[in-house]
Amino acid sequence: MIGSGRKRLLIALAFLLPNLIGFLLFTAGPVVFSLYMSLTDWQLTKHNQYSTESVKFIGFENYARLLWGDESHLFWDYFYNTVFLMIAIPVSIAGSLLLAVWINSKATPQKPKSKMKWGMIGLACSVAACLGAWVLASPSAAQDVMSTRSGMTDLTEYQVQAMQRNGLVLFVGIVGAVITAGLFVGQMFFRAAFYLPTLLAGVAMFLLWKTLYRPRGGLINSVLDPILGGIERVVVNTPAVIWYGTGILLALATLAFIGRSMMAGLSRYKAKETGGFALFGRAFILATVGISALGMSLVLVQLPEKSLLPSGYESFDQATILAIGDELKGVEGVDAAEVDLIVNALGEGASRADTLSALLSDPVLAQNRASVLEAVDQRSERVRRGLTAGHETERGGLQPPDWLLSSRWAKPALVMMGIWLAIGGGNMLLYLAGLSNIPQSLYEAAAIDGATGWQRFINVTWPQLAPTTFFIVIMSTIGGLQGGFEQALVMTEGKADTIVLTYYLYNLAFTDDFQLGLASAVAWVMFAMIFAMTAFNFRFGSRLTNE
Amino acid sequence: MSDRSPIESATGPLAKLARPLTFVALVLLGISFVVPFVWQVLISLSDRSEVDRLTETGFPSRISLDAYVRVFDQVPFAKYFFNSFFVAGWVTLLQVITCSMAAYAFSRIQWPGRDKVFLLYLGTLMVPGVVLMVPNFVVILGLGMFDDYTGLIIPAAFSAYGTFLLRQFMLTIPSSLDEAAAIDGAGHWRIFTQVILPLARPGLIVLAIFAFLFNYNSFFWPLILTQSENLRVLPVGLLQFNTTYGSDVPAIMAAALMAMIPPIMLFLLLQKYLVKGIQLGAVKG
Repeated sequence: MIGSGRKRLLIALAFLLPNLIGFLLFTAGPVVFSLYMSLTDWQLTKHNQYSTESVKFIGFENYARLLWGDESHLFWDYFYNTVFLMIAIPVSIAGSLLLAVWINSKATPQKPKSKMKWGMIGLACSVAACLGAWVLASPSAAQDVMSTRSGMTDLTEYQVQAMQRNGLVLFVGIVGAVITAGLFVGQMFFRAAFYLPTLLAGVAMFLLWKTLYRPRGGLINSVLDPILGGIERVVVNTPAVIWYGTGILLALATLAFIGRSMMAGLSRYKAKETGGFALFGRAFILATVGISALGMSLVLVQLPEKSLLPSGYESFDQATILAIGDELKGVEGVDAAEVDLIVNALGEGASRADTLSALLSDPVLAQNRASVLEAVDQRSERVRRGLTAGHETERGGLQPPDWLLSSRWAKPALVMMGIWLAIGGGNMLLYLAGLSNIPQSLYEAAAIDGATGWQRFINVTWPQLAPTTFFIVIMSTIGGLQGGFEQALVMTEGKADTIVLTYYLYNLAFTDDFQLGLASAVAWVMFAMIFAMTAFNFRFGSRLTNE
Repeated sequence: MSDRSPIESATGPLAKLARPLTFVALVLLGISFVVPFVWQVLISLSDRSEVDRLTETGFPSRISLDAYVRVFDQVPFAKYFFNSFFVAGWVTLLQVITCSMAAYAFSRIQWPGRDKVFLLYLGTLMVPGVVLMVPNFVVILGLGMFDDYTGLIIPAAFSAYGTFLLRQFMLTIPSSLDEAAAIDGAGHWRIFTQVILPLARPGLIVLAIFAFLFNYNSFFWPLILTQSENLRVLPVGLLQFNTTYGSDVPAIMAAALMAMIPPIMLFLLLQKYLVKGIQLGAVKG
């Protein structure tokens, strides 16, 4: 050691000073200051250099106003939203663990070089697949007519098919590239790919997701639409009795199994044997599956009624009817004035059937039945797909939701995004590190005892990872309660269903009235909640960890 | 036996399928993580009028860079880039300096009250960030740093977390090294700069990556602390761009894509350190 105690203190202070000043000024000081602020009526629009009014100490009035005053429903609504979005946390933690176990398993090559040969073969295969897709999907020039698909009237059918071919080749290429990289680079590749969302989480990423969630023309709904259509077709063609029956049978079977596993688990737990926890876990999973199955079948039986709508259900607005008329004026021998008369007589909100019969009442148009049908059906299709404003408010059957625009689906949309963002992030890396620290001998011992994969997971992997899980749960709850601000501002522009506590604080403190005192109180209530949750986690978690 | 993985069953009909099934699952997930970004690139290369039907065609009819040109035409995007790099760069540099010095004081010098002060640092790590939002705003307002580069840089230039991280790292450096240097007559400053800092390089890089990424993505503080257009950083600029030109989806996607490139580059170059850093911060904490 160099120098005496006093000299060492001075030297240490010299080293510490740059950091300490900032620490006191921007971290330690403000914490204390904030507590004081929360007990005042500090409002920047009232108390500033232009006014002489001084800040008043009002005790716990801010807290009372927030938690049980007239406006308290705001705070609790936003608290509910925050907690709702936190559903993503347990799901993503479970997902992170699963991904880590998968990545760490022997399914991915650990050493890149050993898979060089397979990587080359994979690469060759994906190139071949791309070429094949190119050849097979290439349109022939004979089909070169104007496309009649919705919104593509400026393109020829040939062009549309060429675009689809390119899209297909691109997709095949992506699949091939991922397979090749998975075989060739293995662990490193998946780790990097899954980490991307966390790395890029921010305004740019939220803008991307806002685009993905667009109700029309968004990637997510365009994937969902055919899937839901398929389900709908199956459901419509199956009698409702079968759905009810399946649902009830599933639920009964699940209940029976839950009962059995719980009894077994309980007796094992009483006998202080291990494995009771696993049985409880299985019962819980089965219960969730059974209840969802029952719920799904209840939803599905309502479908046939919704789907079997009378024909001619679609109705047209004035502009659409006029457009149909204009199109038919181009048909040879048609009297434009006659068409105008028919069209004007139809009026706003005419159904497809009415429109058709009115148009076909004209003798010339009746001879060109095909053109009339095409003109009407094309619009009809567009209305059904929601591309043109129709008059119906409710379209039949299963439809993908409007996600961020709807009040029911905005929060679930944010939850799903949250899972996607967090699943491969820091938590997965921590689990990977934890997995690599588990001694291999434990697995060998378990294998000698004849443990199955699931038993080894429950009895070796899970307990060994308990400290990691404990840390992750604590950090994620702390982060989750404070999260959601950027999403609300960027993706839903502060729509009420998605306002979280941090957004509320931002609104109080930094917009309109600059109510710094009240906003500080929000912060301290959140602090208290975080503290309580962390304390709970410590009590509950340390017991589980020591088990 | 030793090459068995935890998910593989010892027996059973599923045993042989476990490996390929796992691989298939990983590949499917990998695709779902890559596709959104590819989709983003496709939109950014499309014409404005084609965005709505891109889901039906899967590919633009003509690849064009017009959207990228529009971004630079409509907003000072280069300036946003500069601001983000300028602020994040300065913050990173200052954080590495202040935190490494403080970490040295906490790990290499014995002084009365050291542990108490360190405990205070640790204590503030538990304080949620929301508590600091309002008072820091007042402090920054009071120091006259509102709507100024200093307001974005100075408050972020000190980090209790960074100090903690580097202290943990420096504790792993054997003390025999600096004791030998002290016997050779080196003072603390020389030990710090010539012995500890070179050995703590991986730790410094980890902190630098974290600090840069965090401040590059930082949104809340620039949003409330700046007003002028020429101080706008990328996240705030992107939000503003989206509010004004929200219907121009290709341009929004182009702008977002450009903003994502620096972190990706950083990650690809320094992946090893980033992974290590995340694990260091947690395992030792």
